[in-house]
Amino acid sequence: MSTELTVLTLAALLQVVQFALYAVPANREVGPGYTMSPRDRAPSRPMSDQTARLGRAFDNHFQGLILFTIAVGVIEMSGQNSGFTGLCAWIYLAARVAYIPAYAKGLRPGRSAIWCAGFLATTLMLLAALV
Amino acid sequence: MTETTILAAYGLLVLLTILLQVLGSLQTLSMGYLMSARDEPREVGRMTARMNRALTNSITAMALFAPAILLLVVQDKTTSTTLLVAQLFLVARIIYLPVYALGVPAIRTLAWLVGFAATAVLYLLAL
Repeated sequence: MSTELTVLTLAALLQVVQFALYAVPANREVGPGYTMSPRDRAPSRPMSDQTARLGRAFDNHFQGLILFTIAVGVIEMSGQNSGFTGLCAWIYLAARVAYIPAYAKGLRPGRSAIWCAGFLATTLMLLAALV
Repeated sequence: MTETTILAAYGLLVLLTILLQVLGSLQTLSMGYLMSARDEPREVGRMTARMNRALTNSITAMALFAPAILLLVVQDKTTSTTLLVAQLFLVARIIYLPVYALGVPAIRTLAWLVGFAATAVLYLLAL
């Protein structure tokens, strides 16, 4: 398996971890009675700021992951793997891992800078596929 | 040009949309708020709200389009027809963005429909 595919697998597993990081405290705070309901109304007990942040970090990674998946897919399908695309993949993963504590702690402007690194790594991979 | 090129181009289009959405948010939200953890939700301008909805829609479209291309390429089922349909998808999605931002009603729905139908055709051709 190529570096890009290994990193893609790890990135998808990271999303599983992010789900747990959000769902466990969310269930504890809002109550499983609410989370298992159809959620027609807002929960009566609010979520803590940190849990809501972990939820937003989880949502944000869905967007990043879809784009990264395409970048890896395109590189693999066209057989354009290189040291550069492998490096971009690792930078993406490192940025997405760092993004979680940065969001939870409300790091400013660290969170935005880390997000930018992941965004740029994906962009460079897609551009590398086209040139 | 191949289906893979179209997929890469669409990925770049969505990245561009994210960039425009962030830059557009600056009209109503300060950089300080954007870089914060955004614990209190803030009201955004009409244009930004449209870009948010367009982005969500583009990502949903991408999550469906990418597997269709993958299926075609992996099974070696790419033809001039699949390339044309993929190109049609890309053109429809390019039109979709400014049309949504400007609030043109019927054309936006039409562009969405073309992209949706193109994706469905790709899956049928992959079978």
